[in-house]
Amino acid sequence: MTDAGAGSRDLLRDVTAMLVDDPTKVAVDSFEEDDGTVVLELAVADDDYGKVIGRGGRTANALRTIVKASAVRDGRRVLVDIVD
Amino acid sequence: MSAAADAVRELVERVAKTLELEGPVEIVETDEEIVATLHGEDLGLFIGRHGSTIDAVQHLAQRVGHKAGDTEARIVVDAEGYRERRRNALERQADRAAHDALRSGRPVALDAMTASERKLVHEYLRDNSEVETYSEGDEPDRHLVVAPATTPAG
Repeated sequence: MTDAGAGSRDLLRDVTAMLVDDPTKVAVDSFEEDDGTVVLELAVADDDYGKVIGRGGRTANALRTIVKASAVRDGRRVLVDIVD
Repeated sequence: MSAAADAVRELVERVAKTLELEGPVEIVETDEEIVATLHGEDLGLFIGRHGSTIDAVQHLAQRVGHKAGDTEARIVVDAEGYRERRRNALERQADRAAHDALRSGRPVALDAMTASERKLVHEYLRDNSEVETYSEGDEPDRHLVVAPATTPAG
């Protein structure tokens, strides 16, 4: 892949690793859509999904917010998908 | 320093690095509170619109800090005096709303705020027995309403 969204992808991977019990299972796949939107697909260990989603989705929203901020300088739209 | 404070520092530094902010992160830790302050200039991106980004960082800091497990302290993320400036601005808004509510005899709605900001304003106005406050609406538009007290003061 290109470098598009690499900073955001690494940020998402590293911060998620701090949140979960099993950081070795944190994986972020990224791909670019036709309109230039970068999609980050986040996967964690089965038991860790609750930790990255949080009560009422608050932690997932916080992750999306910091990822969005990280993409501002690139002028990129970045989406975070939590996949299981 | 507690493991929680270390984890909070690591998180704030990690976010700041991605935003190309190299300012030092200062940690002040007491039994009640761990405050991590990012120093530097041009911290607007770190703070975000209405503080949305710094509040997201603070939420994540609370998660990683309490996961470290060696503290019950409140975890706060700040940026070069932002929280103090924001508190002053919110208190001025609250004073104006209380004044307007009493003058007009009608409820006055404040701007949408985060849960922690609503709590701050609610507690600030609790000292004023002439008004009462309550929340209305759904996130992210949930906001406080300041109304003349229904039970007369005193």
